[in-house]
Amino acid sequence: MKFILAALAAFVLLAAAPSVTPPAGSVPVVTRNGGVTMITQQDSAAPLLHVVYVVRAGLDRQSLSQNGVAALTAQTIVLTPVNGVPLEDAIAGAGGSIAFTIDPTDVRFEIESLPEDANRVLALARTALAAPAFDAATVRAARSKLIARIAENQQIAFQVGLDMLSSTLATSANAGLPELGLPAALAQLGPDDVRSFYGTYYRRGGSYVSAAGRIDALAAGTLEQFGNTLAEGSTSPVSVKLPKLEGASRQLVAERDIAAPWLIAQYPAPSVASKDFGPMLVLATFMQRTLSDMADVPGVVSPTYASRAVGTLYQYENPEPNLVLYVNGGIGNPNRSFSTALSIASILASTKLEGSIDQFKAMASGDFISSTNTLEARAWLAVVYDEAGQQPDYLSRTLDAIAQTTPADLQRVAREYLTNPTIALVLPREDS
Amino acid sequence: MRRPLLFAAALALMLAPLAASAAGEPSAGPLPHGGNYLIDRDATLASAAVDVWFRAPGAGYDNDSPGISRLAATAAAATTLESGRSLVSLVRSLGGRLTINVYPDLVGVSASVPASAARRVVAAMSAAYFAPAIDEDAFKIADTDVAVLSAQEHYSSDDLLHDALFAQLFAAGPAHYPPIPADVTDVKDITLAQLNAFAKRAFRSSNATFTLAGNVDASLLGAITDGTPGPAESPIGSTVAGTPADRTITAAVSGEGLAWSGPPISDERAATAMDFIADYLFRDQTGLVSKEIDPTSDQYVNGQFITLHDPGVMLVTIGGSKPDAIEAQVLAAIAKLEQPLDPASFAAAREAFLYHLASDTQTPIEQADNLGWYYAEGNGNYAPSQNESTYWKTARSLDPQFVASVVKKYLAHPVVVHLITATSKESAS
Repeated sequence: MKFILAALAAFVLLAAAPSVTPPAGSVPVVTRNGGVTMITQQDSAAPLLHVVYVVRAGLDRQSLSQNGVAALTAQTIVLTPVNGVPLEDAIAGAGGSIAFTIDPTDVRFEIESLPEDANRVLALARTALAAPAFDAATVRAARSKLIARIAENQQIAFQVGLDMLSSTLATSANAGLPELGLPAALAQLGPDDVRSFYGTYYRRGGSYVSAAGRIDALAAGTLEQFGNTLAEGSTSPVSVKLPKLEGASRQLVAERDIAAPWLIAQYPAPSVASKDFGPMLVLATFMQRTLSDMADVPGVVSPTYASRAVGTLYQYENPEPNLVLYVNGGIGNPNRSFSTALSIASILASTKLEGSIDQFKAMASGDFISSTNTLEARAWLAVVYDEAGQQPDYLSRTLDAIAQTTPADLQRVAREYLTNPTIALVLPREDS
Repeated sequence: MRRPLLFAAALALMLAPLAASAAGEPSAGPLPHGGNYLIDRDATLASAAVDVWFRAPGAGYDNDSPGISRLAATAAAATTLESGRSLVSLVRSLGGRLTINVYPDLVGVSASVPASAARRVVAAMSAAYFAPAIDEDAFKIADTDVAVLSAQEHYSSDDLLHDALFAQLFAAGPAHYPPIPADVTDVKDITLAQLNAFAKRAFRSSNATFTLAGNVDASLLGAITDGTPGPAESPIGSTVAGTPADRTITAAVSGEGLAWSGPPISDERAATAMDFIADYLFRDQTGLVSKEIDPTSDQYVNGQFITLHDPGVMLVTIGGSKPDAIEAQVLAAIAKLEQPLDPASFAAAREAFLYHLASDTQTPIEQADNLGWYYAEGNGNYAPSQNESTYWKTARSLDPQFVASVVKKYLAHPVVVHLITATSKESAS
C-alpha cells in the first residue's frame, strides 16, 4: 500500500514534459469504391511494402457448430498451391511473407514484401484469394497446421487467459470462440464447409486494403485491382445469443502444462472513438510502469525478467475493447503483485488526483509512438481508426487525445471502467 | 598532427560512400568534438532511435577486470547529470526505452524516444558518456544491475552457451571473457577509481559513433557540448584458439551449443554467405532445421552468424530434452549444404533471405543498432540495414557454388559445449 500511495503521490511531483507532435506528411489517404476501403501510407524510406487485407469473414460469421471454419478457410488459402507450391512458400521464395489473424469480426491477411518483389507477391496472393484450393489434401494440410498452432498456443498461458476472457466480453457467442477453433471441432470440418464459408463470406463489401511503406514500387492500379479480388456483395454476422453467465464469481480457471501460474484481470475499456480513449491510454501506462517498478529490483537500469513478468495490455483494437492486467507467477509472490495491481485500479477510481500528470502523458505518448514503428502496425492502426468512424490519422488523433487528458479525466475513467474485473487464472496442472 | 590528419582523411574515405541527404539515405560525418555519426532518416515516423557505440574491451584494457565494461556503461547511464537527472531517468520520463548492450569488444547504448525528444536525449547521452563522472550512487546501481543480470543468465542456456563457446573458441582477448561475469565477485573487486578510469578512456568522444534513425537529422548533433577530438580505438580482435576443445559444464539449465570460427567482416562475400546459411537453416519458423522441430515439444534451435571484426562466429544453440538428436540434424543439414543447392531452390532461398534482412531492420532502433554494430566492427558501408550498402549487392550476388565452398571452408569442425544439470549428471553416472 505504501508503494501505491507513493506512486500516486508522484502525480503531484512530476515536472512538465515536452509536448509530442506527429511528423508532417504522415497522414493516411483513404479512398472508397464498391464497398472496398483503401488506405495508403507512402513511406519512401521504408525497406518494405506491407499490405493488410481485411475481409468480413471472422469469428462472428461462424455458427457455434462451425467453430474454426474461419481459421480453416484462411489457412487453406495460405496453403493453396500457386505455381506448384503452397502460397506461403511461393511468397517466401518471391521475397515476402503472408500470415493471417482471425478477429471477432474479420479475417486479416498480412502480406509483406521487398519493394522490388511487391507486384509479384501481391499477384501470388491474389491468385490464391480468388480461387482457393478446396481439395481434400489442401484442407487436410490446413487442418493439421491449425491443430499444431492451437497446441502451441495452449502452452502460452497468457494467450489461454486472454482467450478465456475474450469469450466473456463478446456480445455474440460465436465472436468469443477461440480464434483458431478447437481440434475436435476442426476434425468435423471438411472441404465442403470451407468452400461454403468462402463462397458466402469472402466478399468485397466492408473489406479494407491498407498499405504502408513502399507503395510507389507497385504498378499503377495494383492495390485497386487487389481490392477487387473477391466477388461483390456484403455479408452479415451470424447472431448467436447465449444466456449470460450467472453467479457472483467472475473468475475463470484453466489448467495447462505450464511451470507457473498466470493471473489476469480484464476490465472493459473505451474504443478509439471514445472521449475516454486518451485518459485510458494514460491510465494503462501509469499502471504498467507502476507494476514494473514494483516487481523489479529497486534502481536497476536494465529491463529484467521480473519487470517483464507483469504489465498491462490495452486492447483498443478489439470490437469489445478491454484493459488487461497480468502477472506471471514465475516471479516472487504473484498473489501480492496481483492484489496490488487490483488495488491500484481501485484506488485510482476513488482517490482525488491532484498535480501534474504531464510525465505520465509523455510516457503514454512515447508508448503509443513506439507501437507505430512497424509497417504492419501503421497499416493496421489506420484500419482500426477508420472502422471506428474516425479519421485514420491515428497518430495525431491519439497524441491529441493524450495531450488533452486532465487528472479529472483519469479519475472519471478509472471510476467508470476499473471497478469490476473478470479474472482468469491459468494454473499448472496438478500432476505437472 | 600527422595521426589525427591521417585519421580524418581515412574517416572521410570510409564515410564518403554513405554521405547522402535524401530521405531514407544515410548521412555521415564527424561529431562536433570528436567521434563521428551515421544517420538513417525516415521523416514519416514519430519516433527516433539515438545510439552511441564505442569500441571497448569487456574485461578491461588488460583483460583482468571481467564485467568492467558493463559496469561502466550502466553506471554512466545512472549518473545524475547537471540537469539533475540521469540519462536513464530522462529517457524513461520521455516515454522512451534505454537499452545498454555490452559485447566482448563493443558497447552500444540505445534510446528509443519520441522524435520531439531526440535532441534532449542526444545532449544527455553525450554528457553521460563523453564526460563521465561516475559517483558512488551510480556505482551501486550498476553493481546491482550486473548482479541481477548475472543471476538471470544462470537460467538462460542460450547466454551460457554463447559465453562458453566464445571462451573455447578464443584463447585470449576480450572475446574469451563473458560481458557479464557468471561470478559477480569478479565485479566486486572493481573500484570506483578503476571504473572512472575505464569510462574516461573507453567512452571518450573520439572513440564514439552516434547512430541516429527514424525522424532525425544532423542538426540534433548540435546538442553535443562535451568531448575532445582525437584518434579512435581500432576494432578490437581476440586470439583464436589453435584447436578449440569441447567442454561439458554443469549448470542450472541444460543445452548444447556448437560454434565455428568464420570469416572476418572484411571478407564481405563469405560473411554474407554465412548469414545466408544461418537464415536458410536456422531462422525461426522458416529455417530448414527449425521447421523439422515439433513446435509443441520442448526442443528448439537458434543459429546465427555473428559478424565480427576478425573472425566472425557461426553459433548454434540447442535446447530441450533431446539435444543430441537436434545436433545430428544440424550437422546433417550443414553437411548437405556442401553440395550446391539447385538453382531454383537457391534463388528462392536467397530472395527469402533478402526479405528477412529488410524485415529485421525496419524499425528505427533496429536500424540504429545495425549501423552502430557494423561501423564499430570496422565496416560501416556493409551494414545490412542500408539497402544501398555493399551488403545487399553482395547478398544478391551469392550463388550456390560459392555458398557450398564457404560451408566446406568454415563449417567442418565445430567446437561443442554441453550444459548439463546436476540431476542429469547424477542419472548418467
